[in-house]
Amino acid sequence: MKGPFRLVSGRIELTMDPREAEALSVVPGLLESVGEAGSDPGADQLDQAPYPDDPEANAEFRRLMAEEMAQSRAADRSAFSLTVEQSPHGVTLSSGEAEAWLRVLAEARLVLAARLGIDKDGWENTFPEDDPAVALLHYLGWLQQSLADTLESSLP
Amino acid sequence: MTATPRHDELEDIQVDLDRPWNVVVWNDPVNLMTYVVYVFRKLFGFSKEKATRLMLQVHNDGRAIVATGPREKMEMDCFRLHNHGLWATMERA
Repeated sequence: MKGPFRLVSGRIELTMDPREAEALSVVPGLLESVGEAGSDPGADQLDQAPYPDDPEANAEFRRLMAEEMAQSRAADRSAFSLTVEQSPHGVTLSSGEAEAWLRVLAEARLVLAARLGIDKDGWENTFPEDDPAVALLHYLGWLQQSLADTLESSLP
Repeated sequence: MTATPRHDELEDIQVDLDRPWNVVVWNDPVNLMTYVVYVFRKLFGFSKEKATRLMLQVHNDGRAIVATGPREKMEMDCFRLHNHGLWATMERA
């Protein structure tokens, strides 16, 4: 499948134009803007409760896992921020950096969608693409698709 | 005051603790199908066919069981799915 990401001798190359690079440069700020759960739909989306009917089990899960999740997300965001500014024409990523990009793209899309109030399938037909947040959601989706395809092609 | 549990009641408790758990992935309108397939393959080592079948089950039925096993291990799987932005919960198998 043709897309902006390509596997080149074990590394992952992304080709983009300066306009796309500018769109991507807002992602770190977007993720930094995520507030506390309860006050930001984006934060609520990321703060999942694995036990639908058991607040105590959820509290215990968070007690054990919240710090590791925060550290993992911070490491991903940092890897993304450091590589996204390599050049306005494209970046070359190690497989580890590409995995970080993939999680950051997913996280950014979930935050954007939650803030837009997207909660069911079919939103592509109802949310106007001239809304900058919707346009960014589509663009990051195009990247998510291509990067997932590229990484999947490298699986054994 | 409680009566001392009889031996067979203790066995019931033990069986309950040993009962496996499922990890359920739920449909969401944002993550793309190709992304979900890749995450399933990477985290669980599924074939492309199995990962695609489960992804379609999530998409069409709203949910699919992607793993079954001891609670602690299933919580780790849940964590790894959350870390990839997928909506995952625990339920008794």
